[in-house]
Amino acid sequence: MPAGSIGNSPPMVAFRSTDSSGRTSGLLLRCVLYSLLALGLIIVDKRYDHLGKIRRWLSFVAYPVQVAVASPFEGWHWFRESVTTRDTLRADNERLEAQLRVAQFRLQRYEALEAESQRLRALRDATVGVTDRFIIGDIMDVDLDAFRERVLVDKGASQGVFVGQAVLDAGGVFGQVARVEQYTSEVILLSDPAHAIPVQINRTGLRTVAVGTGDTGRLKLPYLPTSADVVVGDLLVTSGLGGGFPPGYPVGTVSSVKRDPAQSLADVDVRPAAALDRSRELMFVWLKPSATLTASAAASPAAPPNPAPAPARPPAATARSAPSSAKAPAKAEARASGPSASALHARAPGAAPPAHKASGP
Amino acid sequence: MMREERIQRLPVVVSALVALALAVIPLPALLDALRPDFLVLVVFYWSIESPRAGGLALAFFSGLALDVINGVVLGQHALALTLITAWAIHLRLRLRVFSILSQSLTIFMLLTLYQFILFWVDGATGNPVVNFGRWLAPVVGGAIWPLVSGILSRFRER
Repeated sequence: MPAGSIGNSPPMVAFRSTDSSGRTSGLLLRCVLYSLLALGLIIVDKRYDHLGKIRRWLSFVAYPVQVAVASPFEGWHWFRESVTTRDTLRADNERLEAQLRVAQFRLQRYEALEAESQRLRALRDATVGVTDRFIIGDIMDVDLDAFRERVLVDKGASQGVFVGQAVLDAGGVFGQVARVEQYTSEVILLSDPAHAIPVQINRTGLRTVAVGTGDTGRLKLPYLPTSADVVVGDLLVTSGLGGGFPPGYPVGTVSSVKRDPAQSLADVDVRPAAALDRSRELMFVWLKPSATLTASAAASPAAPPNPAPAPARPPAATARSAPSSAKAPAKAEARASGPSASALHARAPGAAPPAHKASGP
Repeated sequence: MMREERIQRLPVVVSALVALALAVIPLPALLDALRPDFLVLVVFYWSIESPRAGGLALAFFSGLALDVINGVVLGQHALALTLITAWAIHLRLRLRVFSILSQSLTIFMLLTLYQFILFWVDGATGNPVVNFGRWLAPVVGGAIWPLVSGILSRFRER
């Protein structure tokens, strides 16, 4: 059909004449109806939690499509694994054995250290949750929204996965479960702009929050003052505050620190420890909550027990007399008075965390 | 009329399912940002060719499927797709006599509006995606419209 053969008005006339039986108004009416339905869904899904069942039911429809999309890629992985040569397998085997030797060597020390740490914590009456059990999940080869850092994993509600569960990979913390379907779950990566994780600088014990940037290879620490004691190469570990993540797992290393004297906050970038863009296998972790953790969490959810790995105060301090314990709240008030003192409170982790630290995820 | 409608259900459903699979098929990161909204183009095609086969019901449920499979707030794609499909149906007789270039430009405009509605719902529900990349999808979508409509019309005639 040539473009210029019909002017502007004949299609309009045709449009009106074919749809003269009320179809134009019908279109408008149905458009308004469907739009209101969609708007209602958005509001109900956002504000209330009633749509979980509908979503789960709908996901039964989506699941075959996701599996169908992922299966050729899974098949290709399987094929590549099954045709690897004997030499590659032997080289892999040797490498893995060497890794295992190193890991076991470290583990010997680790178990002794963990036992010691638990003893010391028991003295301080602040035992934190430790990892209870875990399952391994595979990332499905399905692309979700291109502009959000999320992945789909092949473990779901039927395996006991729950929303907010911590997810690790071999290198460190990977993210947490954002949504659970029957057989799949959606994991939000550390690097998602909507994700924040409470962390601690391993060297100094300084606590802060690491926020995603949308860039897979970079997190940032937006709440550190320019005077904070942080240098390039510092290891960040989870602090365990908030109870979502197990404490002491690596999150990343500080890759750049920019201090602008005109700003009150430093500009700190972190390279994540987990291979956020390369991992295929993830660990879903269950925490074993200790009695003290749940008790104090019930008393005041904003102030969970302090999980500092290196107690600055010796355990004997709890047995001291009244004057020193009366001094502690006064010190806490003095610390809360100025933001530049936050380097101090990292060294004396006896009191509840200051309010601005609790504004995590 | 009844017979024609019965024949036309199958290609609509099949093409919509294929487009849905294309929406989540893994692509390299560079291509992922350029991924056009295949399902939107398919819904457009059927709505323009025969609103009885496509139409608002197809648009609404396709949008719902996109919401579920993308894991975003339920109703987001459904709202956007319903609104722009209504406009496409309104324009359909004019669209059919347009040259292929004008068709592509119109589709580009509708796709941009679609992204804008998604953008707005993202912001209103509190997780804004401030990434310039999302505005590339309409450009690619408009560019491949002749291809998509060509393939689908071949598919329909069979």
